Amino acid sequence: MKIKYLLVGALIVVVGIVLAITLIPSQEKRVKRQFHLLSEWVSKSPEENAFTMLQKMKNIGTLFDEHCEMKIPDQSLSGSYTRQEVSTYAGSARSYVSQLDLNFYDLGIVFPEKEIARVNLTARLTGRSTAGERMDETRELECVLRKIDKQWLFSQIEVIEVLKK
Amino acid sequence: MLLKRVVAQEGEQVEFRGGRLLVDGKELKEPYVQYPCQWNLSPRRVEKDCVYVVGDNRNMPIENHHFGQTLKSRIIGVPLW
Repeated sequence: MKIKYLLVGALIVVVGIVLAITLIPSQEKRVKRQFHLLSEWVSKSPEENAFTMLQKMKNIGTLFDEHCEMKIPDQSLSGSYTRQEVSTYAGSARSYVSQLDLNFYDLGIVFPEKEIARVNLTARLTGRSTAGERMDETRELECVLRKIDKQWLFSQIEVIEVLKK
Repeated sequence: MLLKRVVAQEGEQVEFRGGRLLVDGKELKEPYVQYPCQWNLSPRRVEKDCVYVVGDNRNMPIENHHFGQTLKSRIIGVPLW
């Protein structure tokens, strides 16, 4: 009888562990999700209406820390930007394009400290300007995200010079 | 991820003259370049622990092509033959 109880107990523990592993996303998955959301909200389809545009602008800000350090020379972004400034900048930049796709590849995530994630990745921006010019830019990025109130937020974004002519 | 061809190693000098690639002053035969270009780039030496990489598709202005030296540690590919 004792063995039966032990077996049932062990089974419950195993099922609990399996459920916890499968249902609770790992920190890595949570960090990746922030990139997925950034990609979704920065991207723009030609049919996007004003309401969606405003919603996306607002959403983009929620992914960022109160102050985010940016080093993106191509876009003349250098220094600390508030969440609001990031939203406004994203909205302004999106107004120059009729279609935009932002995709992230090869994410390498490390956690150098508790509540800090450092991510190396490749970002590809494709689309078409309102003037009809085709865009296709690929950059290597290093991002730092901080976990604040259970949310991973972008606190640093830097373009890494991979190739030096 | 970028797919490029290694054309020079550390210590070597790279230069483009009228679309021809010169390594240490000698023209490198590049049969894989299908569309000739007219690129010009002044000589520069490949730094320590780096290689110089260029893509094969060079039918665009030099400013629009991503090439140059990069750290060897960034390379994840291996020779296949």
